[in-house]
Formats: sequence, structure tokens, C-alpha cells
Amino acid sequence: MSKITSLADLKKKRDELKGGLDIRVKAIDPDSVVQVKVAMATCGIASGAKTVMEFFLEQLERRNIAAIVTQTGCMGYCYAEPTIEVKLPGQDPVVYGFVDLKRADQIIEKYIKTGELVDGIIPVNYQTIDFKE
Amino acid sequence: MSKYSMHLLVCGGTGCHASESDAIVCNLRDELEAKGLMDTVQVILTGCFGFCEKGPIVKVMPDNTFYVQVKPEDAQTIIEEHVIKGRKVTRLLYQDPVSKEMISDSKHMGFFKKQLRIVLRNCGFINPENIDEYIARDGYQALGKVLSEMTPEQVIKEVRDSGQRGRGGGGFPTGLKWEIASKNKADQKYVVCNADEGDPGAFMDRSVLEGDPHSVLEAMAICGYSIGASHGLIYIRAEYPLAIARLKIAIKQARNMVCWAIRFSAQSTVLILNFAMEQEHLYAVKKQH
Repeated sequence: MSKITSLADLKKKRDELKGGLDIRVKAIDPDSVVQVKVAMATCGIASGAKTVMEFFLEQLERRNIAAIVTQTGCMGYCYAEPTIEVKLPGQDPVVYGFVDLKRADQIIEKYIKTGELVDGIIPVNYQTIDFKE
Repeated sequence: MSKYSMHLLVCGGTGCHASESDAIVCNLRDELEAKGLMDTVQVILTGCFGFCEKGPIVKVMPDNTFYVQVKPEDAQTIIEEHVIKGRKVTRLLYQDPVSKEMISDSKHMGFFKKQLRIVLRNCGFINPENIDEYIARDGYQALGKVLSEMTPEQVIKEVRDSGQRGRGGGGFPTGLKWEIASKNKADQKYVVCNADEGDPGAFMDRSVLEGDPHSVLEAMAICGYSIGASHGLIYIRAEYPLAIARLKIAIKQARNMVCWAIRFSAQSTVLILNFAMEQEHLYAVKKQH
């Protein structure tokens, strides 16, 4: 543990350490940041979902985009794995299929940064059932 | 930068501690180890979330899922279902007593909905035994600013203007108290923190001490600087063993890390802080800028 001897030291230290709490800070209001869910069932993993997830974790951070990347189970589109769901703040989620690293890059550059849709969208084919009366 | 993609926060306040939250932490870690996920998922023991009636509580970040009355043997289910498969464990969610709805994000619970946490902002959010997390949440910035950019008079004026008052029944204006103390002439002054919390059924002091002990030390050091006290005393009751243990850890870490603070010796329930703020030392800090 290094000693802190000035305010400048302390500020530097804070900026270094901030990243460690990032996940928790973003979780306070998850709807204000980009949310990426990577389907990570057997089918997804077999088609490379793990690499895709690592790519998103690493690249979103490197490109300074505030985002939450989580994994989920099988979305049912096993033919189109790896599949991911991207939810931009205040918008409906969009599901992309056949996401390799090239498409993942496109999704970040085009969809996440500018909102422009890219190839590979799986149209919404379900309805959420609301149990409330 | 952290490579963790998920944080599991386990409540380590006195209430949850008593209902085996330590065992939950152990089991979660064992389970993560067994699944090879130690590098992706971090388990953190935090201070009190405030919802002791349904403890022990485990919070999953970043999706902010709030699990209640978790048992040590539930650790396996949480890891296998939630962490690995991304499915929430419905039976551990909080059920709204009126609407019977299962609520997964604590923000939507009646209990938390209207809360705005100020004093307890870090409680249940950071690991109280890790000074790094406190610093990451702007910890010791105020003390740093006070020591390097402000005179004691400026600090007192700032506190006065803020309208801050004591949190006891009297509600005495803090700035006025500090001003009177600073004008008082004495060979040796002390900042005394009464952490005894004698009022029945009140546990907010304990929660701060257990969940965010560095904030107490920082505030005491700021007070010490502005009234010219080089020593501080914390009076704390023996019934708060967890708070005492966390304070001791905090004091040790602060002393190792932050040069303005804080030397410490412990005698039974009275913790003595030495702010090490001799004039020369302060000037040395100032000169470096």
C-alpha cells in the first residue's frame, strides 16, 4: 500500500480505483446505460458466445461507452447463436443473431454509438405476458 | 481496471452477520472457485442494507437483484442459476406484502422507494474493510481539500453556511459548535465522537460505523483541523463488537495510507486517534503543492 502524501496523489489514486466500483455505480440506474445481454447456454457457448462477451466487456470499456454486459440463458434462437440483446437507454431491446466479432464491432460502432441498425436482427416474435389484472 | 463482470454484495451488518452471512460468503466463494469463476465474479461483504427484517441479504450487481432471507445452502443455486444461466432465483426475491408481486430490484420496494441516502450513502455499497473502495467513492477528498486549500476559519464558515446541525435531539448548529471550540484556548483539545448510541432502538450510528467507518474518521479529522485539536476519541460500547473491529481496521488502513491521518491506540472500548497534525507536518503537506 503506497502512502498518499498530497491531494494530487489522492485524486490520482481515486481515479485509478474508480473502475473497481463501476459495476455497482451503474447498477444504481441500469436504464441510463447501454445494456448488453449475451445468451450463454450450451448452444451459445459452443458457437463462441464467451469470446463475444469478452469482446463487449473489453471494447465498450476501451471505447468509453458506459454499459452493463451480462449473460443470460438460451433465448431460443439456437440456430442463430451467438445471440445478444442490446437495450439502449429509453428504447426497446433489439436482438441480434450470428454475432461474430466482426458483427460485434459493427454493433458497437453503428447501433450503440449512433442508433443505426445493422444486419442480423431477429424480429420480436413474442409478447410479454403481464400477470397483473 | 477490474475485469470482473459481476459483483455479489453480501450484507455484513450485525443483523445479517448473526444469521450466517459469513457462511454465505464462504459458500459463494467456494462455489465460484469450483466453477472457475473467481476472476469474473467478485464477492464483497458490505455494511447494512437497512432491511434487516428479511436478512441475510445478497445483492447481485449489475442487474441490482435483491435476494432476501438467503441461507448458506442457497449459494449454489444463486451461482448456478443466476450467475451462470442468467435466471433469477424467484423464490429468494422479495414479495410485496400487499400486491403479492415478486420484486427483484430493491428500488421498487416500498421500503427503499422513497429513500435518499446521504449519511448512509456508502453503507451496503462498499466493503467497509477496504480503504480503496472508500477512496474510489471520493473518500478523504474533503479532508485533502481542507488540509491543502483551506484555513480552519474557512472550514468553519463553510460548515456554518451549509446549515449542518447535530443529529441528536438538540439539533445544535455544527458550525457554531466548531466556532466556539476553535475560539476556546487550551493546551490540548480533543474531538470526541460519541458512538455509544444510548437511545433505545436506534442503530444508525452503528450502521455508519460498521458500513462506512472511514467517513467517521475523515469527519473527525476535519473537525480536529478546524478547531485545533490534534487528538480524537471515539467512545463506543462493547456491545458493538463488529463496529469496533471495523473501526480498528479502518484506522490502521488510514494510518498506513493517508499521511494526514491518523495514529491510533486502543484501550477497551475507547479508541484514541491521533490526527498527527502538528503544524510542521501540515506545512510540509502544503509546500508540496
